[in-house]
Amino acid sequence: MDYDWELLGFGPDGWGPVLLRAAGVTVAVSVTAFLLGVVLGTLCAWAKIGGNRPVRAAAEAYTVILRGIPDLLVIYLFYFGGRQVVAWAGGMLGLQGPFDISGFAAGAIAIGLISGAGQAEVFRGAYHAIPVGSLEAARVVGMRRFLMFRRIIAPQALSTAIPGLGNQWQSVIKESALVSVTGLVETMRQVTVAAGSTEMPFFFFAAGAVIYLIITSISGLVFKGAELWSQRGQAPARL
Amino acid sequence: MDFAFLSETFFKLLAGFPLTVNLAVLSLAGGGVLALLLNMARASGWLGARFADFYVFLFRGSPLLIQIFLIYYGLGNFPAVRESFLWPFLREPYWCALLALILNDAAYTAEILRGGFRAVPRGAVEAAEACGMSRLTRLRRITLPVAIRQALPAYSNEVISMFKSTALASTVTLMEVTGIARAEVSATYRAIEIFLCAAVLYLVSTLLITRALRLLETRLSPWLAGNRA
Amino acid sequence: MSGLGVNGMGEPAIALRGIRKRFGDQEVLRGIDLAAHDGDVIALIGASGSGKSTLLRCIPMLEVPQAGEIFAAGERIALRDGQQKLDRAQQAAVQRMRTRLGFVFQSFNLWPHRTVLQNLIEAPVHVQGRPKAECIAEAEALLEKVGLAEKRDAWPAHLSGGQQQRVAIARALALKPRALLFDEPTSALDPELVGEVLKVIRGLAEEGRTMIIVTHEMGFAREVCNKAVFLHQGRIEEEGPPEQVFLDPRSDRARAFVSSHFNRNR
Repeated sequence: MDYDWELLGFGPDGWGPVLLRAAGVTVAVSVTAFLLGVVLGTLCAWAKIGGNRPVRAAAEAYTVILRGIPDLLVIYLFYFGGRQVVAWAGGMLGLQGPFDISGFAAGAIAIGLISGAGQAEVFRGAYHAIPVGSLEAARVVGMRRFLMFRRIIAPQALSTAIPGLGNQWQSVIKESALVSVTGLVETMRQVTVAAGSTEMPFFFFAAGAVIYLIITSISGLVFKGAELWSQRGQAPARL
Repeated sequence: MDFAFLSETFFKLLAGFPLTVNLAVLSLAGGGVLALLLNMARASGWLGARFADFYVFLFRGSPLLIQIFLIYYGLGNFPAVRESFLWPFLREPYWCALLALILNDAAYTAEILRGGFRAVPRGAVEAAEACGMSRLTRLRRITLPVAIRQALPAYSNEVISMFKSTALASTVTLMEVTGIARAEVSATYRAIEIFLCAAVLYLVSTLLITRALRLLETRLSPWLAGNRA
Repeated sequence: MSGLGVNGMGEPAIALRGIRKRFGDQEVLRGIDLAAHDGDVIALIGASGSGKSTLLRCIPMLEVPQAGEIFAAGERIALRDGQQKLDRAQQAAVQRMRTRLGFVFQSFNLWPHRTVLQNLIEAPVHVQGRPKAECIAEAEALLEKVGLAEKRDAWPAHLSGGQQQRVAIARALALKPRALLFDEPTSALDPELVGEVLKVIRGLAEEGRTMIIVTHEMGFAREVCNKAVFLHQGRIEEEGPPEQVFLDPRSDRARAFVSSHFNRNR
């Protein structure tokens, strides 16, 4: 089978521009979800480390539940469940349909929740890796909890957490493909459309896979760089 | 709360459970064998190692969903595939989904196993060599058992992950738990109840699997029990 | 009222009274009274497990004793009977007191994610809230003093143990403390690195700084302190001028301890 590579180009018949845009949407939904995950993961790790019994139990339940349910199902719940809630609320207010919610928002929230559960474990592990003496030295010079968190705990924990966060980010990118079920035109959705209209599914799904590989590879390099940067000075000097 | 509806839904979803388990078990079995082969390729030399690296890069760097679609929709593009003896399988969504799950699981499991192999103490292998074990006996009696025990905690996560990934088979029309849930929602528009029902089914299963694997871990490596941070 | 810190010799830098501390059902400190006036150098000696490190750690409340009264750097914390946790006012007093004491740990405890200079200015800038430029200038002078000026921008992990401990001492000095507390400052060091740290501490003693030093270096302790305190099983068994405690102790246990240590070291 011969392929017309111009299909991927930017000419009149080329899918280049829409694919590029779709890749942008993939990155955007992933970044949104990941940042939501950072916030939830931090709170959850904090709850597990420093919370009282009920707070700990709630954080534990959150991680167990979100790690025990398929990602696809979580997205379905937020998207279709969200629509059901909106329709019900609209009906109560006497509004006329049709009602819809944003696939971007539902997808980003769903993946953010999933990622938050994973990131909580990453942050918790990173906290426990901080040398106890380093915290003691901070207490003995009179640092209060918040200052100690900001100046001593967070910078050290973050540097330990970077590889784990990198893995979480890679998962988020791959999970973002599932958001295509909501109709959001990200990479997965766009290549499905292209595959259908050109009747060249292998070509376009392969192209889609390559787009994901490019995104994950570049992110991998970025996280590796961040890891090296954050560990400057932490390992013994190589002479 | 409409309990009649919930219990009715629950039993409908339960009908898809055997297929979910079937996909999970077979993909883990196939993926496990393939992962072992990948590690043997890695040990065989430079070329094998590069191949294993590239394989892992491909399947871990792209989403499972696109791998499933590539196999289910894409392979039929090739006349050679359509005319081969494999076509009766590759035209079936079940075999396509299973193949994608196996290939995907192999990439992750290969990395986990690789970590396990690396954790086998050099001295244990030397001791085996010293008492005259052959390469294969060493692998079977010493290296593999130690590596598997080392890799088990990470592998437990992979088992759970694969069990959840079987939900993606529903995107190529398979009627496992998620597929049935999706169809029921289209028919009744009661998304929240039905998807929550499915979620509970998955959650209970994953919790039971986790428990069972933890028991297995303590059984297999009693000397490590309680050391998991 | 006969509270601590009011006596004929003026307000002491540090005064402890009736300190009791237990871990589980093991009583580590059984009622300790101790005072350090400005310019005092006190050596706390005793076998391991005698409670000397715990006592030192009780001063900035790294360990919270079950009973007793602590007066340090102008702050008083009196523990009420059966008190489990410090109340708000006591916590505030502890915070203020900590910023006016310098503590040097056995294992240095430098912050690994900050350079040497950053370790020195961290607390002065962010806890005491002093201007950064001023703190940097002072920190550089302190590094000069401990002989590590050229390590200003090095990372802690790249320094030898002796260098790390000298940085830790400079870090404690950067707070301009009323008194310095040393918790076995040379115990984690290789023997050949002990000297450089002791030299720095000796210099501080000659400057007339107030210090309490927990140490196993008997020769050094005898030479540098003006008062030695021998702890045994959570009690002060003997205290007095170094000539007395090291050369002519009244208690048999102190005699046995001192003679065995001198024999071992010399």
